[in-house]
Amino acid sequence: MAEIAIGIDLGTSNSCVSIARGGTVEVLANAYGEHITASVVAFDEEGCVTVGNAAKANVIHDPVNTVSSAKRLIGRYFFSEEVKKAQAVYSYGIVEGPDHSLRIQIRDEQLSLPEISAIVLREMKTIAEEQLGQEVHKAVITVPAYFNDNQRQATKDAGRIAGLEVLRLLNEPTAAALAYGFGRGLSQRVAVYDLGGGTFDISVLEIGKDIFEVLSTCGDTYLGGDDFDDRLIDLIADEFVAGEGINLRNDPFALEKLKVAVETAKKGLSIEDQVEIRIPDIVTGPDGQPRSIERSIGRPEYFALVTDLVQRTFKVCDEALQQANVIAQDLGGVILVGGSTRLPVIRDAVRDYFQQEPKADVDPDEVVAMGAAIHAASLSSTDQQDSFLLDVTPLSLRIGVAGGLAETVIERNTPVPIEQTRTFTTYQDFQETVKIRVFQGESRQAEENEMLGQFEFSGFKKARRGEVRIDVTFEINSDGIVNVTACDQETGQQASTQITLSSGLSEEEISQIIDDGRTERVRTSDATAADSPAPVAASSPAPPAEEELSEDLELLPDQEDLLEEAPDLEIDEEDYSSPLAAEAEEEDADPNAATQPELEPLAVDSAPEIAAEVELETDDLRATAAENLQEIQPPVGDSGIQIDDMDGSPDDELEVQTGAESLFDTPGADLSQPDDESEL
Amino acid sequence: MPALAPAEIKALIKLIDELDYYQILEVSRDAPASAIKSGYYAVSRRYHPDANRALRGEVRRNLEHVAKRVTEAYSVLRDARRRLAYDGQLTKDRQAVRIQLAEADSQAEKKALEDHLGTTPNGRRFFSLARADIDRNHLDSAIRNLQMALTYEPSNQFFKQKLRDLKGHPSG
Repeated sequence: MAEIAIGIDLGTSNSCVSIARGGTVEVLANAYGEHITASVVAFDEEGCVTVGNAAKANVIHDPVNTVSSAKRLIGRYFFSEEVKKAQAVYSYGIVEGPDHSLRIQIRDEQLSLPEISAIVLREMKTIAEEQLGQEVHKAVITVPAYFNDNQRQATKDAGRIAGLEVLRLLNEPTAAALAYGFGRGLSQRVAVYDLGGGTFDISVLEIGKDIFEVLSTCGDTYLGGDDFDDRLIDLIADEFVAGEGINLRNDPFALEKLKVAVETAKKGLSIEDQVEIRIPDIVTGPDGQPRSIERSIGRPEYFALVTDLVQRTFKVCDEALQQANVIAQDLGGVILVGGSTRLPVIRDAVRDYFQQEPKADVDPDEVVAMGAAIHAASLSSTDQQDSFLLDVTPLSLRIGVAGGLAETVIERNTPVPIEQTRTFTTYQDFQETVKIRVFQGESRQAEENEMLGQFEFSGFKKARRGEVRIDVTFEINSDGIVNVTACDQETGQQASTQITLSSGLSEEEISQIIDDGRTERVRTSDATAADSPAPVAASSPAPPAEEELSEDLELLPDQEDLLEEAPDLEIDEEDYSSPLAAEAEEEDADPNAATQPELEPLAVDSAPEIAAEVELETDDLRATAAENLQEIQPPVGDSGIQIDDMDGSPDDELEVQTGAESLFDTPGADLSQPDDESEL
Repeated sequence: MPALAPAEIKALIKLIDELDYYQILEVSRDAPASAIKSGYYAVSRRYHPDANRALRGEVRRNLEHVAKRVTEAYSVLRDARRRLAYDGQLTKDRQAVRIQLAEADSQAEKKALEDHLGTTPNGRRFFSLARADIDRNHLDSAIRNLQMALTYEPSNQFFKQKLRDLKGHPSG
C-alpha cells in the first residue's frame, strides 16, 4: 500500500486537513468533530500549547500569550509594513530576531514564525493520524498564490519542523480548482476568487480531462477578512473614544473582546440584515465604573464600511483576466474560496462582476484542503498519474540593476518549470566582483519588491568595461524552488545560490528545533508539561545560510575602495551577432554613462516612501542592499527597443534609437502603449 | 501513458538544444493557437516531471531540463507577439532555435513601436491621415486611408488591428 499523504490548508484564521483515497475526498474532523480548526496557538505558564478553538477562546483571557494570524507574518522581514500593522492589531509580542527576522515573544521565550505554524501543522497531522489510525509523514500544504519565495520557504520549513515531508506547496486557488474539477470530467475555464482572512488571490484556470492549466494568478497579500474586521473595530473604537474618552486599543483585553464581537457581528450579517453588538463591561472607566458597548449595525452600514476593500479585489480580478487573455463571459464557473466569501456583500459583488452565479456546491472553508489532498494522493501514488497540474509563477523574478531598479528576468504568470538567462557585463574597467541581487515582485523600483537574496560573483578575468560577459540564469523548478546561477562566458567560472530567505531559519536552526522537540508540547497530559523544553535564548546558533552570506560580506571591506568608485555593472543584451548591434553598443557606452547621474535622482525621489525601511537597515546585509554598492545596469535598449535586427532604413534606425534613449532616461514611462489605442 | 525510459530522456537531452519551439511542441510552423495549446498538453503529458515521478537522480534533472524547454517553447508560441519575434529570428537564422522571453518581449515592443509610427513614408502619411479622420469621426475615410497605409505596409500588425477595430464599429 502506498504511504498515505494528506492535504493541509494552513489558513490565516482556520486550518483544515483532508485525505483523498479510493476515489473519494474526505475532510477529517478534529476531536471536537469540527472540520476546521482555528490557526491559533495559546501558550500556558509551563510553555505548553493549546491549538485550535480552545486556544482561540483563550485570546480573551490571555491575549499576550495567544498567537493568531501567524500566517500574516511568516516569511516577512521585521521592517515590513505588514509587521507594523500586526504590532498595532495583535497583543502578543512581535520582536526582531537576527538578520531582520521576526520572533514571537512569549514570556521569556522567543519563537520563530515557522515554529508557530509548525505547531498548527502538527495539530492537523495529529488530527489526521487519529482519524486514520496510522502515522502520517507526507503532506501537500497550501499557500496563497501570491506568497513570495520567502513566505513559501518559511512555510516549507514549518512543515519540516512539524515532522512532515512537504510533497509540494500548492497555491490555494489551484487547490480549490482541483477539488472542484475532481472526478467531474469538466472541460472549462474557471475563476477562483479566494478571499481568506489575510490575503486575496484570484486564479484563472483551464480544466481539461487530465490537465489543470493555470492561466494566471494575481493577488494582494495585504487584503483579507481581517481588514474587514479592522474597519468595524476602528468604527466602534473611534465611537468609544468620542463617547467615553477611552481608547480601547490601549487595552489588550478590551481589544480582544471587541475583535471577537466584531467577527461574530460580521458572521451574523451573512444571515441577518441587522445584528446587535453587545459587550458588557468591556472596560473600567477612570471612575471605577464598568463601561459597556451596545450598538446595532445593519448590512447597508457595514457594506459602506468595506465597499472600497471589495472593489480592490476586482482591480486584481481585472489583471488576472487580462493576463489569462480571457473575459468574464469565457468562464464556465466562478468558485468562491475563503470564509470571507460567505459575506453577502462579497457574493453580490462577485455575481455582478463575473456576470454569473458563483458555484454553490463548493464549501469555501474545506475546498482548499480537499484540493491539497487530491494533489497529495496524486503525487504520492506509485501508479501513473491520471491528471496533473501545469502551474505558473505568480510573481516576477527580477535582478537588481543601476539606479535602484529591478529588471524582469522571469515575468509573472510564466509557466513553470522554466529557466531564463540574461547577459550582463561589467560597468567599470577592471572590475573584480559583481553583486547579484534577486527580487520578486512587480515594481521596477527594486526597493518595492521583496528581496530574495544576493550573492557576489567574482573570478572572471579582469578586463575593460563591457568586455566581460556574465550569464545570469534564473531557474524555477517544478517544485517551485528558485535557483540563480552566474557564469562567466569565457572562463566558465560559476557561482550559484539556491535562494534562501535571509531572515528565515537555517538548516541548523531547523534541525535544532526538531531535535529539541520545541513544537511538540501540545497540552495533552501532564507528562508533556514535565519535560517541556527550556526556553531557548534569542541568540540561537548562527545559521549556515547566513554564514554563506557573511562570507560574501567579509569580502566587502576589501572592496570598499573599489566600491567607492561606484563600479557599476551594466547589463548588456546578448549580442545576436549583428555587427550593427556591436557598433551601437560602443556608441551607447557614453550615453549610458551619462544616464547614470540622471538615474540617481530617481532613487532619491523614491526615498521618502522607503524611509521607514531604510532607517531600520542598520546592519551590513541591508546596508549593502540599500546602497548601490555594485550594480548592474539595464541592458542597452532596455525599453524594449534594440537597433539590431532592424530591417528599416537608416533613418528609421536613428529615429527608433532616439526613442530608445529617451525612454531609457525616464524609466516608468517606457513600455506604455501610445494613447491612441484607447482613442478608438 | 507509459513512463519515459531513461534512454529516451538521454536521447532527448542531446536533441533538445537543436530543436526549435515548433519541433519541441510537435506542431507545424503555421499552427493556430489551439494547436499550440494541445501540443503543449500532449508533450507535457510525456515530459512533465510530475508525470514521471518515479524517475530519480540525473535522469530526473535531465527531465527537468526538457520540461523547462517545453514551457519556454509554449511561453513564446502562445503569445502572438513573441511568436512573431521568434519567427523573425528563425527566418534569419535557422540555428537560432532559442529566444529568451525578455528578448522576445523587447523585440515585440520594438516592432509595436515601429508599427505605431509606420515603417515607410507612405505608410506613415496615410496612417496619420486616418488618425485625423478618426479624430473628426470620419470613419469611412479613415478606413480607406488605413487600407492605403496597409498597401505600403502589408504586415503592419498595428494598422491591421486599427482597421479591424474600425470595421467593428458601425459607421458614423
